[in-house]
Amino acid sequence: MVIGFSIALIVFSLLLMLLVLMHKGKGGGLSDMFGGGMQSSVGGSSVAERNLDRITVIVGLLWFACIVGLGLVLKLQH
Amino acid sequence: MLTAFARAFRTPDLRKKLLFTLGVLVLFRLGAHIPVPGVDYQNVNQCIKEAGGNGGLFGMINMFSGGALLQLTIFALGIMPYITASIILQLLTVVIPRLEALKKEGQAGTAKITQYTRYLTLALAILQGTGLVATAQSGTLFRTCQVGNQIVPDQSIFRTAVMVITMTAGTVMIMWLGELITDRGIGNGMSILMFTSIAAGFPSALWGIKKSGKIVGGWGEFAIVIAVGLAMVCLVVFVEQAQRRIPVQYAKRMIGRRSYGGTSTYIPVKVNQAGVIPVIFASSLLYIPALVVQFSGNSTSGWAQWISTNLTKGDHPIYLTLYFLLIVFFAFFYVAISFNPEEVADNMKKYGGFIPGIRAGRPTAEYLSYVLNRITWPGSLYLGLIALVPTVAIAFFQGSANNFPFGGTSILIIVGVGLETVKQIESQLQQRNYEGFLR
Repeated sequence: MVIGFSIALIVFSLLLMLLVLMHKGKGGGLSDMFGGGMQSSVGGSSVAERNLDRITVIVGLLWFACIVGLGLVLKLQH
Repeated sequence: MLTAFARAFRTPDLRKKLLFTLGVLVLFRLGAHIPVPGVDYQNVNQCIKEAGGNGGLFGMINMFSGGALLQLTIFALGIMPYITASIILQLLTVVIPRLEALKKEGQAGTAKITQYTRYLTLALAILQGTGLVATAQSGTLFRTCQVGNQIVPDQSIFRTAVMVITMTAGTVMIMWLGELITDRGIGNGMSILMFTSIAAGFPSALWGIKKSGKIVGGWGEFAIVIAVGLAMVCLVVFVEQAQRRIPVQYAKRMIGRRSYGGTSTYIPVKVNQAGVIPVIFASSLLYIPALVVQFSGNSTSGWAQWISTNLTKGDHPIYLTLYFLLIVFFAFFYVAISFNPEEVADNMKKYGGFIPGIRAGRPTAEYLSYVLNRITWPGSLYLGLIALVPTVAIAFFQGSANNFPFGGTSILIIVGVGLETVKQIESQLQQRNYEGFLR
């Protein structure tokens, strides 16, 4: 049980990292962060980007569920 | 003011953005409270209670993560890896020619640099996550705590790996949340997340001061701290908005049958051109020696002893002096890399602009850098002093400097981010109505 959840968590974590890194980075660096110029993001995202968003959200939810599940299982064991 | 808020929520477009931002922030704070599987939550809570809220070495970073770091939650690393990665790349652009070329390329180049920042964030997250889990396992995260070495009950390699990977994925998730806010919400995501983390620590810290205080059951200290904080906010807002306007006159030109130019504008040179970046640079640089000691393990050798007595406490004279000097240095450094007088002078010459009384070309560049240098002096000194003053003042009349929520750094960041975000909301609001927040 614990092993299963752990492996699932590792898999989802890696997937999540991969998916997020596949996004196009928005917002560039420090100068933007604190008192850079005001530029509003122009235009929407492409279809591919939107699908990527959807997949990322799903994987994120699964990742979260795994964390909660593993935490609960570990707690019950004690 | 309030009607402006109401109007902001009545505008459908803006309402959607504001609600989206708030939603993401809720997710962010939620994640900052869920412990990583494998951590004994009860022991951690007990240790935090015993430590009294100040994390000593990890104090600054714990503040940046909104208290999530010491609780070993899935968002424990917060946005610190991203900030560190940005700093490293920012510094490297000066050193490595290829990065400099990318930066000059404009939009596409900047996007590439952002991508590098993201990769570096991942690497740093793995590094810092490993470090954090290792310190938690060995029990050095809470030195004084009795159950400090029982925070992580199962210390097998597999469990450790799971914890590190979860934390890394959490950091990557935060990065994505920040980008989502930048993209679809309001303001710059990363700075808003940082704002939230710091602000989240305020209530409990204030309550801690009230509890430890003595005047009128602690309400005296409470009131003093709030008053000092408000005064500081006013001062910071005042200086942040201050700028020198160098007048520029554009010559009138006829192109075909239409005339261009002939206007007079100004170049705004802010007193604090660098913003809070020097403070962040300085505090993360000063954190490095302490980190090295933490990792080297044996705290008996001479240099380790010296560092842990002089460089880890926020109210030690040597630490304060170093901090101040670093801030002043980085203020100049950052202004030097972000504002290039020769480029500005060149551009002005190209479009027929000149500063009254100064010849175009090289004299203009010299004049600009002269003004810039002179105005950065008070700016950098102000940054350094603001970052120090509260720490010193509180250390004098109360022993708990670490508990003080309105440290200079946090005030600078809060005000800077707040101003920027409000300005952005206002510019969105003004597309529909003319009256905004700031009159």
